[in-house]
Amino acid sequence: MTAGRPLPVALLLPGQGSQHPRMAAGLYGHEPVFTAAMDEFFDAAGPEGGALREDWLAERPATDMDHVTRSQPLLFAVDHALGRLVLSWGVRPAALLGHSIGELASATLAGVFGRRDATGLVLDRVRRLAGAPPGGMLAVAASTAEVAPHLHGDVVVGAVNAPRQTVLAGPDGPLDEVGRALREAGFTCRRVPSLSAFHSPVLEPACRGAAERFAAVDRHAPSLPVHSAYTAAVLTRSDIDDPLFWARQPVAPVLFWPALEGLLATGDHLLVEVGPGQGLSQVARRHPAVRRGTSAVVSLLPARPGPPEADRAALEAAVARIRAAGHPVTRTAAAPDPEEHPVTTA
Amino acid sequence: MSAFTLEDLFRIMRECAGEEEAVDLSSAAAEQEFSLLGYDSLALMEAISRVERGYGIQLPEETLAEALTPAAFVDVVNAELAGATPAVEAAG
Repeated sequence: MTAGRPLPVALLLPGQGSQHPRMAAGLYGHEPVFTAAMDEFFDAAGPEGGALREDWLAERPATDMDHVTRSQPLLFAVDHALGRLVLSWGVRPAALLGHSIGELASATLAGVFGRRDATGLVLDRVRRLAGAPPGGMLAVAASTAEVAPHLHGDVVVGAVNAPRQTVLAGPDGPLDEVGRALREAGFTCRRVPSLSAFHSPVLEPACRGAAERFAAVDRHAPSLPVHSAYTAAVLTRSDIDDPLFWARQPVAPVLFWPALEGLLATGDHLLVEVGPGQGLSQVARRHPAVRRGTSAVVSLLPARPGPPEADRAALEAAVARIRAAGHPVTRTAAAPDPEEHPVTTA
Repeated sequence: MSAFTLEDLFRIMRECAGEEEAVDLSSAAAEQEFSLLGYDSLALMEAISRVERGYGIQLPEETLAEALTPAAFVDVVNAELAGATPAVEAAG
C-alpha cells in the first residue's frame, strides 16, 4: 500500500437526482464551516433565501424538493458547503468533478466564480428553467448504444453515468413512450427524481439569454483542477472564457463516466463524494481502479435519507476514513476565509 | 448443494453493470451491502429481472427488499428454486 504518500483526494459533487428533503441538514448548526457556507448562500440569494432555507429544513417542503426551484439551488449550496468543509480540514483536493449542477459548485469551490456571483447565476438559471415545458428523466440499465435505437423526438441521452447506466431526458409524453418501448425490449428503467428534462433540447429556449449573465461576471483561473463532465476533460481557459459553455450546461449531456475515467487515468485517487446520497460513489465503485482497490471511495453523507444524527455519524465515519488514508484532518471551529467580507460595490 | 451460487450472482451483476474488466469480488463481498459494491437500485432491479428470466422463477418482492447483501440474495433465489414446483405458469 501507500506507505509515504497518501492517495490524492478528488471531490465528486452530485447533481439532479441526488436531492431529498433535509439533505445534509443534520450538519446544519453542528458543523460551523458548513453552516456558515449555507447561511452565506441563503443571504446571497436575497429575498428568495428565506423560502429556500425553510424548504431545505422542512420535512415536507412547501415546494417539492424535486422541482427545479428547489433541487438546483439547494444541491448547488449543499455540494459547495460540503466542499468548503473538506477544504477547511486542510485537505487540498487534487481534482474536482461535478455532475450537472455539481459542476457549477465545483467551479465555484475552485474560485472560477465568486460565491455571490455564482449564487446569482444559479438563481438566474433556475428562474429560466422554471418556465420550461415539463419533462423528466429516466435511468436505464443499458449502454448508450443499446438505447440509441429507441430514442426519438426530443428524448435524448442526458447523462452517461456508467457503462450500463444511461439517463434519458425529454418531455413527459415522449419519455414515457420511450420508456415503454425500452421495457418491452427487456431493459430495466427507473424514473430519476426530476420534474424537468435536464440535459435535453427541451430546455434550450429557456437557456437563451443565460450566456449574457455568465459573460457579465468575473471569471478566474481555478485554484484547484476542475474536471468537466461536459467535455470529459480538465476545464480549460477557453471553457472558462466561453459564456455559452456555462449557459448551455442544462441542455448539454453529462458525460460523468468518461470524465471519471479521464480523472482516474491521471492516477489513483481517494474519491470523496461531497453531496447528498451516494449516487456517484456507487457508480465510482464499479470503476476497475476501485474494484482493484488501488483507488477508493468515501461518501460524506448516508446512502439514504435518515435522521439528523445519521448525517453526523456518516460525516464522522468519512473523517475517520480520510484520516486512515493518510490525510491529516484538522477540524476547525470556524473558517478563516479570504472571501468572508466581499467588497461590495453597491 | 446450491443451485444458484455467489459466482452466478457476481457474474450477472457484472454483466448488468457492463464492467469490462473482470476483477473478482472477494469472498468478503458476499456479506457487504450491494451499494458498497457499487450496485445501486437500478443495477439490482436489472439483476433481479435477469435471474428471473434465466431461472424461470418469480422472486418474492418483500423478501428481496430485505436482501441487502449478495449472500442474502443468493439465499432468496435458492429458496425460490427449491420451492418452485414444476410450475404451471400463466402464459405470457
